[in-house]
Amino acid sequence: MTALALALLLPWVVGVLLLLADGRRRVFGWVAVGGLLANLTALVVLAIDVLPDGSRTIVTGGWEGGVGIVLRADALGVVFALLSSFVVLAALVHEVLDGVRSRTFPALVVLLATGLTGLFLTGDVFNFYVFFELAMIAAYVLTAYGDDRHQLGAALIFAVVNLVGSFLFLIAVAATYHVTGTLSMEDVATRMADVEPNAAILIAVTFFVAFGTKLGLFPFHFWLPAVYAGTRPAVAAILSGALANIGAYGLLRFGAGLLPNELALGSTVLIVIGSASVIYGALLAVSRRDPAEMLAYSAIGQAGYVLVALGVGGPIGLAAAVLYAILNALSKALLFLSGALRGALVAAAFAVGALSLAGMPPTAGFLGKLALFRSGVDIGSVALVVLLFVGGALSFVYAFQLYQHEFWRGGRVHAGTDEAEINATADRQPASPVAVRAVSVVLALVVLGLGIWPEPLLSLSADAAAVLHGGATR
Amino acid sequence: MTLIFALAVAIVFGAGAFLVLTNDLVRVVAGMVLISQSAVLVVIASGLTRGDAPILPTGDKQPSDPLVQAMALTAIVIGLAVTALLLAIVARVRATLRSLEVRELARDEAEHTADLEQSLDEMYERLEPAEESEEQ
Repeated sequence: MTALALALLLPWVVGVLLLLADGRRRVFGWVAVGGLLANLTALVVLAIDVLPDGSRTIVTGGWEGGVGIVLRADALGVVFALLSSFVVLAALVHEVLDGVRSRTFPALVVLLATGLTGLFLTGDVFNFYVFFELAMIAAYVLTAYGDDRHQLGAALIFAVVNLVGSFLFLIAVAATYHVTGTLSMEDVATRMADVEPNAAILIAVTFFVAFGTKLGLFPFHFWLPAVYAGTRPAVAAILSGALANIGAYGLLRFGAGLLPNELALGSTVLIVIGSASVIYGALLAVSRRDPAEMLAYSAIGQAGYVLVALGVGGPIGLAAAVLYAILNALSKALLFLSGALRGALVAAAFAVGALSLAGMPPTAGFLGKLALFRSGVDIGSVALVVLLFVGGALSFVYAFQLYQHEFWRGGRVHAGTDEAEINATADRQPASPVAVRAVSVVLALVVLGLGIWPEPLLSLSADAAAVLHGGATR
Repeated sequence: MTLIFALAVAIVFGAGAFLVLTNDLVRVVAGMVLISQSAVLVVIASGLTRGDAPILPTGDKQPSDPLVQAMALTAIVIGLAVTALLLAIVARVRATLRSLEVRELARDEAEHTADLEQSLDEMYERLEPAEESEEQ
């Protein structure tokens, strides 16, 4: 109970106070890290309490249920909250050690983590929207963070496209309230079965479009490469490792949790769109040479896998979707953070991330691919297995193309650097500070560790999926 | 009543979507305001009941649904904050680009990408011969 409230309140207060401080000073950077650590600790305590199959509910302000704001922690929410907090923390530590360049950066990151924690731990459809906007608004400002002035345009596009997505989500929430008369997720799940099918399908499609836009799925992806390409590595890591989880979690919670019948009806569509995403993302990633852009297209492809697993459905498919979302977030964060660094061990950390993205043992990414293959075999679809194989092979190609360009051939080149500079950087690039590199190495060790000892992660994702499956059969 | 609301929402959303697709950045922001307002209208329409003020129910009539109003208020506040943020970004775009046109923004980005590609090309050219000599 207390852990649930603290996980939300502590970073919130810290974030608001930090807005008043000058975040470029290292002290305030560490205060932000402290706030996120407190958030993560509270989430771990909560997770121990909730897992494997319990749930904790708290109604804020001592109101009775239905009037007050309901926070509800179950296995699925806690798993995603833990994952996102961890990724955000890693990115923040990375940036603080590397030197923060903007006043508001630490505060915004902490507020983003607050929003994410809130939306994973809420039991109310409308509060989901509120927390979702809290996280997204912090993200809009963060995308404009960096030295590159071209980033402003990307931030504007990102904000406009995602706001349209947000308002569509709000419309879908209002429609859900209209047809079910409740905002509580549990009640919506039970009452949705009696709703007129036409209305339910319309609502499901609107939710899908809203989350598809967040996740950057194939037809809604156009904003994504421009945004990722120019941001600082830490921001890119937060966007792809934490913020993209909103899309994955939203599709799982609203699709499989609240609208299971509509999800089953649209499973073919989901698999087709997911497959298109996988192939499109992987092909374009292979064709790109700018590392950030390559990883951005790869994010589109990886989002497709989650959608395919969701389309397959059932306990195996849903567990695969959860597992894949977790592993993808971790390896993407690792790749973005380590890709911009130089020096001993960083290349190894990057290679671990690349292997994980491609799904090679002994890294954790292998588990995700294995779970997907299992779900493909489970429904007996040859096409799906072939698609997964082709997608995996392509991701192997681009991940190692990237590794080769970045770490074997030396010099990373930015636009506008002249020839002399290119020569200089190609010969020898100064190694990044040891502490910054340590963050990437720790992330790499986590990815490796989860691959070597996968049992906890597998049971975690199965527990998380069981929440949804329980909701579907109730 | 629902039909009237649906029509109003459709018109407001359509006008907003049209403005978002125009060339002027300020109009794009205005379009976003309209789209957010259409979402608020949907929220209001979702629980439209006529009745007593929910804060002081007299008992002879059913109180009207207070939840919808709470949601609409929250949505309006969020919409306002988002509008302010968008205008701030537009102001910064104007300060750096000296233009308020979407086309200008796109051109700037295209040039940037072309620069990047070109510098990558140069690097590749430089690296290819070096690699061949290593192989020999």
